[in-house]
Amino acid sequence: MEDGKWRSYLVVYVFVFCLAGVMAVLLISPKEAVSGAERRRLASKPSLTWENVLDKSFMEDTETYLLDHFPFRDGLRRIKALFTYDVLQQKENNAIYVAGGHASKLEYPLNEASIKRLADKMKALRQQYFPKQAVWYAVVPDKNYFLAEKNGYPSMDYGRMVRLLSQEFAAESDFCYIDLMSGLTIDDYYRTDTHWRQERILSVAHHIAEAMGTGSAMIFSEESRADDTAHQIADFYGVYYGQAALPMEPDTIVYLTNEVTDAAQVWSLEENLLGGADAGKAVMPGQDGAVQKPVYQPEKLADPLSLDKYDVFVGGASSLQVISSPGSLTDRRLIVFRDSYMSSLAPLLLGVYREITLIDLRYIDSKRIGEYVDFADADILFLYNTTIVNHAEMLK
Amino acid sequence: MLFSSITFLYLFLPVTILLYFAMPHRGRNLVLLAASLLFYAWGEPVNVLLMLLQIVVTYVLLWLAERCRDKRAAGIFYILSVLLPFAALFYFKYFNFFMDTVFRVKTRSIALPIGISFYTFQIASYCVDVYKGRVERQKNLITYAAYVTLFPQLVAGPIVRYSEIERTLTRGADFSNLRRTFGGGVVRFAVGLGKKVLIANVIGEFVAEVAALGQRSVALSWAYAAAVSLQIYFDFSGYSDMAIGLGGMFGFSFPENFRYPFISRSVSEFWRRWHITLGAWFRDYVYIPMGGNRVSTARWMWNILVVWLFTGLWHGAGWNFITWGLLFAVLLVLEKGAARLSGGRKDARDAKDPGRGLVLYAVSKVLRHAYVVLVILVSFLVFHNDSLSGAAADIQALAGFGSRIAQDAQSTDHTVYAYMLRNRVVVLWVGLIGSTPFPMWVWTRVRDRLENSKIGSVAVCALRVVMAAGLLVLCTAYLIDGSFNPFLYFRF
Repeated sequence: MEDGKWRSYLVVYVFVFCLAGVMAVLLISPKEAVSGAERRRLASKPSLTWENVLDKSFMEDTETYLLDHFPFRDGLRRIKALFTYDVLQQKENNAIYVAGGHASKLEYPLNEASIKRLADKMKALRQQYFPKQAVWYAVVPDKNYFLAEKNGYPSMDYGRMVRLLSQEFAAESDFCYIDLMSGLTIDDYYRTDTHWRQERILSVAHHIAEAMGTGSAMIFSEESRADDTAHQIADFYGVYYGQAALPMEPDTIVYLTNEVTDAAQVWSLEENLLGGADAGKAVMPGQDGAVQKPVYQPEKLADPLSLDKYDVFVGGASSLQVISSPGSLTDRRLIVFRDSYMSSLAPLLLGVYREITLIDLRYIDSKRIGEYVDFADADILFLYNTTIVNHAEMLK
Repeated sequence: MLFSSITFLYLFLPVTILLYFAMPHRGRNLVLLAASLLFYAWGEPVNVLLMLLQIVVTYVLLWLAERCRDKRAAGIFYILSVLLPFAALFYFKYFNFFMDTVFRVKTRSIALPIGISFYTFQIASYCVDVYKGRVERQKNLITYAAYVTLFPQLVAGPIVRYSEIERTLTRGADFSNLRRTFGGGVVRFAVGLGKKVLIANVIGEFVAEVAALGQRSVALSWAYAAAVSLQIYFDFSGYSDMAIGLGGMFGFSFPENFRYPFISRSVSEFWRRWHITLGAWFRDYVYIPMGGNRVSTARWMWNILVVWLFTGLWHGAGWNFITWGLLFAVLLVLEKGAARLSGGRKDARDAKDPGRGLVLYAVSKVLRHAYVVLVILVSFLVFHNDSLSGAAADIQALAGFGSRIAQDAQSTDHTVYAYMLRNRVVVLWVGLIGSTPFPMWVWTRVRDRLENSKIGSVAVCALRVVMAAGLLVLCTAYLIDGSFNPFLYFRF
């Protein structure tokens, strides 16, 4: 080849080799069903039909499928994250930032309409299901509460959020606020995840129980917890790790067991729904054939359908769960309208409640819960993290 | 199909390249046509039939016109060959707007086929050129269809005239030159992909974030206006670069569409640098046939007004686009009028005029550039907004008043404004510098210096490979991590 000619061909060969090589790998490489880093199921191969082609869903699904199964996907996502941070000097990647060793998701501005929507929802639920009972509510701060302002990131006005919520209930003397914000620090949260750490929120459990009149200091004291066994789950990469795609050290999940939690059983609506003619009905806790599981479910770690190690706490996301605690010191019942933060908190309250019902309105219509839940004489708690308060539209 | 999609980059493109070069010369137009139809049908599975119909109809009409001995009848066929594509364009793009504006009647919304404005203009230019005898009628339907549907420039330009690619279409690519055009095309494509994915899309995120805020500070309003202009420029010029690069890979030489428009010192100059092929199309097929500037002053102003009304309308059926076009018409008339009054003195002559002096010359250069930048910022806010009221609010915000300016901003609001600027300041600077000839000037100097030695020319080659491969990897990484982000100019 004449001098200089090979140089002209070099770009051509590298380009064609890159495209054709990636195409070959893309077509023949084995396809994963789940992305561990992103904690989500990957798209399945689209089916080619006339209808799919004409409505363009085949083309869109093909692109999604190729994106999801692209070779070295996680590595490429990391390259993008590093370029975004280090070259473009952006302060976040996919709205996730890392400050003080913690990853957190930007959440701003304060959505005042959402606060009103949440308050209206809470009032409507009370009116419909428990009009004569006292109600407590608490707000769990997201990690921005501790990190954002200090590190130059925008965040919601948390003080205003609580004030607005209080104003909404000013005329309703039976709504009592439990302040959790002042008792927490950033160290009470996982570094790579949104959630708080169970081993660090004993004081939160105590504070709630005390506010609701079931707080027995003994249950939550250091001495009484001496018999707790701390189990560790290493290499926990939280939801923000996957979204940030940046190199971070994994967290360790610690969950606390004792005789009370060992004896407790969790009933989930999804696992007990009937089919056929009885569709919509469920085998309730205590009835013959009811499926009940332990409070902590480490078997979820090996479950390919479980995308989150945090699911070890009461089995993860569920529309409606009932935790029975035969080892409780009292016969009281607690009903909590909640999000995922409650999953790790609920086991800590089993010593003072015989039964705890967890209702997640993101997954069940509030009009339907009367079919499954008896509210009479129960303590009622609304516990939501600030992100849900700011996006109450997701509550049904 | 998007150029910046995995489907295009890693399935469509390698298969098309391999098939194209594996095929003997006579079959290559067929490969291009099949690939182009698949490319278009991927985004428009039904409207691909509309495009094919227009191709067949205009082919038959030109064939009839050529065979017709009666000049009047032939003329009718020629007129129909231009009118029918424009009738389709009118129906799909302007019918709703026309009925709503003229008759105040709300009609059922008609979906706009992707790229219809571009391929209609290509068909029309070809038919007019055949009529005028500038080009010979293409007798091979496949070759003609390959010209209209050529996927590199089908959906967002540049608007390529038949005469510009006739040689490659009919005689095949010049393979003795192909290694150079293919290599150059690869680098050009990679640069265009980078402009779209790494700059336009990232700046687009900033634009969307600020727009979602509702209210903002004055500084953020200026940054927003700059970001809107930069996003449109990098999106569209990135697409044009990719189209030109792809054309080079297949042996075609497409016309340039952008030449650093933001360094212009007059609106006339801006339009000689921005969307060059569209401006040239209107000049050659509307402005000059109307008489151009060789008419009375009143008629000349009317010509400009009509051309810019059409230019605005070409971009979309909306009052914001009409206003945008007419704004340029007014500015062009004023500029040309001022030039006529001053005798059309040129910059260079001004500089040599000892009475003016270098300082005055430099100041006038800066002021003229500042004027064009201001026009660009304001005009693209009009262009970008769906409504004139939204554009007016964005323009008022630049002056520090109106509904977009936060009058009672809290400290948390100011934290947000400051954060948004800090978060995107680097990409905005990259965009600003990248929109000038400076990066190319640096590259050219480095290349020229290195290529003096043998080892230096190897280094230049290595740099080109690393740059193209690096951009491809980086853009792929962004595509994988990002979401669907269509080109802005597809809607035209």
